[in-house]
Amino acid sequence: MGNNIYNVVSLQSFTVFAEYFIALSILYILIVVTLITYNSNGLMLQKSISECSALILFMACYLMMNDDLIALDFLSFNHSIINDYFSFITKFLVCFFSAVYFLLIADSLKEQKLTSFEYLIIILFAILGLMLMCSSNDLLITYLAIELSSLSFYVLASYKKTSTYSVEGGIKYFITGAVSSAFFLLGSSFVYGMSGSITFCDFHDLFCCSLLDTSFTFFINENTWVNFYTNLNIPWFERYCIALTKVVLESFVVPLLFDFSFLEVGFTLILFSLFIKLALAPFHLWSLDVYEGSPTSTTIFFAVITKLSIFVLLIRLCYNAFFSLKDCWQYYSLWVGVFSVFIGSFGGLKQRRLKTLMAYSSTSHMGYALLAMSTATYFSIQMVLFYMVIYMISGLCIWSIFLFLRLRRKTIAAKYNKELGDFALLRKSNTPISFALALTMFSLAGIPPLAGFFAKASVFFQLINTSSYLVALITILCSVVSTFYYIRIIKIIFFENLLVGKLYYPIDSEKTIILSFLTFALIFLFINPTLLYLICLKVVLTLSPLSSNIILISSF
Amino acid sequence: MHSNTLFLLFSLFLILSALMVILSKHPVFSLLFLVSCFLFSSFLLFLLECEFLGLLFIVVYVGAIAVLFLFAVMMLEAKAINLSKNIVKYVPIGFFFALFFLTPLFNKISFHFKDNIFRDSFYLNKYQNWYDLSNSICDIEVYGQVLYSNFILSFLLAGFILLVVLIGVVHLTNNFNNNKILKQSVFKQLSRNSKFFF
Repeated sequence: MGNNIYNVVSLQSFTVFAEYFIALSILYILIVVTLITYNSNGLMLQKSISECSALILFMACYLMMNDDLIALDFLSFNHSIINDYFSFITKFLVCFFSAVYFLLIADSLKEQKLTSFEYLIIILFAILGLMLMCSSNDLLITYLAIELSSLSFYVLASYKKTSTYSVEGGIKYFITGAVSSAFFLLGSSFVYGMSGSITFCDFHDLFCCSLLDTSFTFFINENTWVNFYTNLNIPWFERYCIALTKVVLESFVVPLLFDFSFLEVGFTLILFSLFIKLALAPFHLWSLDVYEGSPTSTTIFFAVITKLSIFVLLIRLCYNAFFSLKDCWQYYSLWVGVFSVFIGSFGGLKQRRLKTLMAYSSTSHMGYALLAMSTATYFSIQMVLFYMVIYMISGLCIWSIFLFLRLRRKTIAAKYNKELGDFALLRKSNTPISFALALTMFSLAGIPPLAGFFAKASVFFQLINTSSYLVALITILCSVVSTFYYIRIIKIIFFENLLVGKLYYPIDSEKTIILSFLTFALIFLFINPTLLYLICLKVVLTLSPLSSNIILISSF
Repeated sequence: MHSNTLFLLFSLFLILSALMVILSKHPVFSLLFLVSCFLFSSFLLFLLECEFLGLLFIVVYVGAIAVLFLFAVMMLEAKAINLSKNIVKYVPIGFFFALFFLTPLFNKISFHFKDNIFRDSFYLNKYQNWYDLSNSICDIEVYGQVLYSNFILSFLLAGFILLVVLIGVVHLTNNFNNNKILKQSVFKQLSRNSKFFF
């Protein structure tokens, strides 16, 4: 009896505790708020609900901190959920940054006229999907998590249904998202057809032999076997051994040299669907219109928070499941990375609309992160994580400044999409925020006394380490080009030759505290990047199948 | 062999009706051919002993999606004006995709999933496993046993996806402007003359 109870309440397999908590609290909020607003029209609840959601996410962070990773099952739910340090730290980051995001947008929802409470609940649903994406170890759970988050993204993009741009952006996002999901499903059906399984561990176990197909035949050729036997110094036995070795090679090793081309087709389709979700360069065209059209608070969410978990998925697929298809994914991610850095740097040069400019900028940043991932070495995962954390901090900082700066106008119809000229002489009207904006812009451009420099430099060092010099050269040149549009914004803020600048509404103190913490983090991480480096290094060291792969390679 | 003939027959019908979906001029006809497409593919699934998937095809695609489309098309009364012009425009792109995307793909598939080479030889295992036949359970029963135990997380996630879609659709289509809501006025309805016959 006691044993039975122990099995029922086994906390060992309770691995997605934070996700349970968030899901249940979403349902609770939904019911309670529906009951509150049932009879009273025009009740404004956005501020309280967004602070409540921030509280929920902070509590989820606390729950994750309290979970002891060693005490929990490594794989649970039929091997469909993996519970390692990587998933823990990425889920924590997603939760933490979305909580900060909720605090930042709390007041501006009323100004954007997003008054209904469903908006925040749908964002919470999207965060739930992103968190499950981080810990999924299974193509089915991955697909469902992608769908949960992207269906919420479509609704968020087209949320402002009175605005034509918002609806247009939502429909564009929906169509490209549907195409990408179709690619994902086609690719996973091919992979399932070749392997008969959908869990990532199984892919790793099944296909790791192809990793050996070049090295194995090269190193375990006839000589090693013959050398072993020729120590005996019996001539006829030696000849016999050579014949035996050939038989062994042909009967045991050659069947291992399985033809992986069809698997590569499936895997490439999955990769491309994830590239579409990340808005990398040949697939980035949706992002410009969607970022421009959708309401600003939604755009912040798309640009800042959604990217990390898709990268986690890419790393799990490339480094864990299909590390043996290294040539395939390295090839595609190098090309796509270089192309998106190029497009992101040159596309933004003539752009005067702010959100589209930042969409180009985010495309180029995703390109850098993908290039860091493509090197397939021990530390590339560390570099991707480091890059993404700094990208998220600076993204939150810069987008929230764009959100806070509201022009003081006499006419009622205020436009929300800003152009570059709206920042003219911001230094005169609001000095601290103009300095914060300039610092973040310098960090995005990668100029030394800020954290963005380390992020970019680590990507370039990683590329040079794996001796892809041409790629490093091209990306460095493109990054020099892209500093043009970052510095142009700074020039408009500080040195525009105008007599009359524009006036803005003041920003209240709690938002400025968060903003100054974010800006301070950018400087602090330049002075002391070791903290973040070590956390990312621990992630790399604890990725178990990966480390076994790398030990295999280094031993040969 | 018997089932193989049926399989070929249904797949032939499937291809023909899929062609007719594209080629027929009137949208209602092409939608009806789409319905027949779904029916034939569900027959194929029945032949492959995937009963649940076949039933799902009929219930979801035929019962919900195709009929919904049919109603929408009949209500909107879409006119196919520039259809022939569009065909001229899109056929080269279609051929391009068929040549450079589908042909290598089919080539790969046919290379990797070959026929059984022992089909006509002595070695083909022809015996019928009566134990499996008598003691097997239906596809649907298996799903019912597995769905709530092994795949509980996926099931819950699917439920959450439905909830998101529900909330989103209610927000996007709901109109809170009370002036525009059409209301039924009984007096007006009753005092109307019937115009059905004259």
